[in-house]
Amino acid sequence: MTINRKKASERLVTLVWGLGLIGLWEIGATVVENTKRSPQNVLPHLYQIIQSVFSTAMVSNKQTALQIVLSNAGLTLYRAGIGFLIGIAVGFLLALLMQRFVPIEKIAFPYLMMIQMIPILGMAPIVLAITKDIDKSRIVIAAILTFYPVATNTLAGFKSVEKEKYELMHSIAATDRQLYTKLLIPACIPYFFTGLKISAPMAITASILVDTLQGGGGLGCMLSQSLKHAMSIYVFWQIVFLSAIVGILSYQLMALIEKIVSPYERAGA
Amino acid sequence: MNKKIWFKTAFILIVFALAVSPLFASGSQEDMVTTYYDADASVESIVVDAATKGQVGNWGIGNEYEIQALLTKYGQPTTYLSQAFDMDGFDDDSILLASAMTYNELGLVKNSYDGGYGYGDTVSYIDMNDEGVAMLEDNIFCNAEFAAENPETVKAFVYASMKGWEYACANVEEAAEIVYNYGSSVSAEHQLYMAGEIKKLVETDTKGNTVTEYGKIDKEAVLQSMELAKTYVKLEDSVAAENLSNLTIGDLVDSSYWEAAAASNGDFDVEKSEITVQLKWLPQAQFMGYYVALDKGYYDEVGLDVTVVPGGGDIGETTAVYTGQVDFGVTWIANLMAANAGGMDLIEVAQVFQRSGIVLVYKLN
Amino acid sequence: MSDRKEFSLNKNMISTAVYPIFFGLFILLLWETEALHKIIDADTFTLPVPSRIIGIIAENLPSILKNTKATVQVAVGGLVLGSLLGYLLAMIATAFPKWGKGGLTIVSAFNAVPVIAIAPIMTNLTKDFSRDPNLRSMLAKTLVVMLLCTVSMSINAFRGFNELKPFSEDLMKSIAAKPASVFFKLRVPNSVPYIFTALRVSVPGSVIFAMVSEYFAEYIIGVGRQIRENIVLAQYATAWAYIAAAFVIGVTMYIILLIFENILLRGRR
Repeated sequence: MTINRKKASERLVTLVWGLGLIGLWEIGATVVENTKRSPQNVLPHLYQIIQSVFSTAMVSNKQTALQIVLSNAGLTLYRAGIGFLIGIAVGFLLALLMQRFVPIEKIAFPYLMMIQMIPILGMAPIVLAITKDIDKSRIVIAAILTFYPVATNTLAGFKSVEKEKYELMHSIAATDRQLYTKLLIPACIPYFFTGLKISAPMAITASILVDTLQGGGGLGCMLSQSLKHAMSIYVFWQIVFLSAIVGILSYQLMALIEKIVSPYERAGA
Repeated sequence: MNKKIWFKTAFILIVFALAVSPLFASGSQEDMVTTYYDADASVESIVVDAATKGQVGNWGIGNEYEIQALLTKYGQPTTYLSQAFDMDGFDDDSILLASAMTYNELGLVKNSYDGGYGYGDTVSYIDMNDEGVAMLEDNIFCNAEFAAENPETVKAFVYASMKGWEYACANVEEAAEIVYNYGSSVSAEHQLYMAGEIKKLVETDTKGNTVTEYGKIDKEAVLQSMELAKTYVKLEDSVAAENLSNLTIGDLVDSSYWEAAAASNGDFDVEKSEITVQLKWLPQAQFMGYYVALDKGYYDEVGLDVTVVPGGGDIGETTAVYTGQVDFGVTWIANLMAANAGGMDLIEVAQVFQRSGIVLVYKLN
Repeated sequence: MSDRKEFSLNKNMISTAVYPIFFGLFILLLWETEALHKIIDADTFTLPVPSRIIGIIAENLPSILKNTKATVQVAVGGLVLGSLLGYLLAMIATAFPKWGKGGLTIVSAFNAVPVIAIAPIMTNLTKDFSRDPNLRSMLAKTLVVMLLCTVSMSINAFRGFNELKPFSEDLMKSIAAKPASVFFKLRVPNSVPYIFTALRVSVPGSVIFAMVSEYFAEYIIGVGRQIRENIVLAQYATAWAYIAAAFVIGVTMYIILLIFENILLRGRR
């Protein structure tokens, strides 16, 4: 009863904040509307954006704004997803290798730190020139951005295992396989998911940015064209909101998968 | 309890003020009176005035050289404001002398259709062609190696594209409609305006003479463009800068493909039939020749299966051609020169626009 | 880690330094001799050899420094302002926990909005700030970095204020400590490691966000913008010189952070 009430009031608070934010936006939009020549470029009213979502007017290529956004979203998210999966695989594998072999850890650790300093988003055009294919470069960049948080967090998970537990496993003559499946992997799961939660929105951002490089399609391409006034500016605003929603959902999805994979972990945390 | 509510209110107000404050920063500017230019003012006086105030605008990324040449001509420093892809900056007077393409931004400034600013005859412009600082724009180029290996394909592509341009210029309204149906990004009215202006660029040279041979490479105009590019394209890489200053017309242009195409009867034995062409910008009447050739089946007639790739992304069309992502590209001479100076080996095979389309637009008193 | 013996620490430190340095040199050698190009199927045009990149940096030091300065100003300015604001928001949220928590939920949603969607909005919103395009571009870029750093700091600092050691709060209450002294004696010290957790994300992030927002800024300056300008002109070697500059900025800022962290957290581990 009390828990339910607490939850309900928490929801209410978030709702109030959300409404406050909407109010803020609307006041800003009203100010802009009265001072600017083309207010829709700066800050349109929310209802105008919603109107554009349901509008049936053809914006370009015989498509409505919403059709453009959705058809291009598929392209972008698909590549982001592939890159994300590759990044997870590589990151996890590297963490495993680093845990297993000390020299690899020593070699790789400083570079893991440095990899996040490489301005990979700034390098996107060069990655495109080297891979010679926009799809490949989307995947590569999304993978690189995913790989780092996954690797460092998983490694931290392996390291979090107490010495006593190791000794216990050794004392019962556990095999290597048992050591990993019973102790190390379960221990690193929460850390692994922390990495996933960080990298999922990043993979999407990366994929959108790569889109802006070429005229071939994708959310970023439409965002950039809309900003250059090649099509309705509302395509831009729709993409802003869509990308925010997808970013949040990707985070929530990772949290959901974590819950399914390890329901018992939650109790402690 | 009451106290708490006050705190909350104060907090919300502070956050609100922080978030909205940038919006209110304007205000005082409304009082500023901007004087424009008289209809009979000399080009020099206008350029000097706007440059002195630091209010000459251009988009940069390779579009600025003609503007810089004009500024130099009238003894002004070559700095300019970074102009957005709309004309709001010109509209609100933060830019007095704004860059505009005759076929695009100028139309938006003058006309009052959707997206236009409706200035009509209350604006005038400085034409780069009249000022002797014109550089050549939209051409057709490919890798030199590709041209050497696929000469028939290049000739066939040039032949069919020029047939497309010829038809488009003769039937502007139909061409505008074709482009619109191929996924044009601008309104139908603006498309039609654009098609009419593009026709002028394709059929008139820098001196104002009529051109009847579509896509002909005018050596003299190329040389003028090259000279300006060598002066105003600034490369930080000394090796590339050295290459740039040593570029000759032969490194850049090969008119033999166009000549062969112009002389042919349309029969080609193409080496490669699946062809892609990368435009310099978004789909619009600026590229109507290619869309018309596609729509009318001119490419099919010469045995080519052509895919048109829209531009407007941040990776240059030169890179796209160089890396082999596409076979042909549409770009400007200055871009081609910078690319070749950097180490690419690209070659122009036809010059579609015969004169510069950049103007500097200003408001009249 | 701290209970290691002196000599083993030294030996450990040597191998920690030597392994990665050798690995780095090995990669550089592969790169310089163009073996790397064969592995990833690149050419020396899009991936110039290191000696050429260093040559360009040496030739153009003044202009690289000028752009570096612009990027650092934005990154550091946004980082400092954003982190301070974020910490302040976390304080306020702790003071009013019921409303604060909901507010932070909304704030954390900003984390998922891609920076390429925020940057153009900021550029448009700040158009009227000043007649000087350099100044207003600077403001727009700094606001982007600031917004993203605020989010990361407020979430982490809030956790730092509230994830106290078990019973410590009860202990403070039992000695009848005032909320203010609970705050300064218990919560603030407890938040310090969390500040660094936030900064470890924000510092590399601030450089990347600064670079991406330069793409959309009106005034053409900054390391990120130069990468793009040079790529449009097909000057890949020069673009690489600016990538190197961006890398140096990121690494330097990160090392400074690590030094600070080492000093401030010394007694805690």
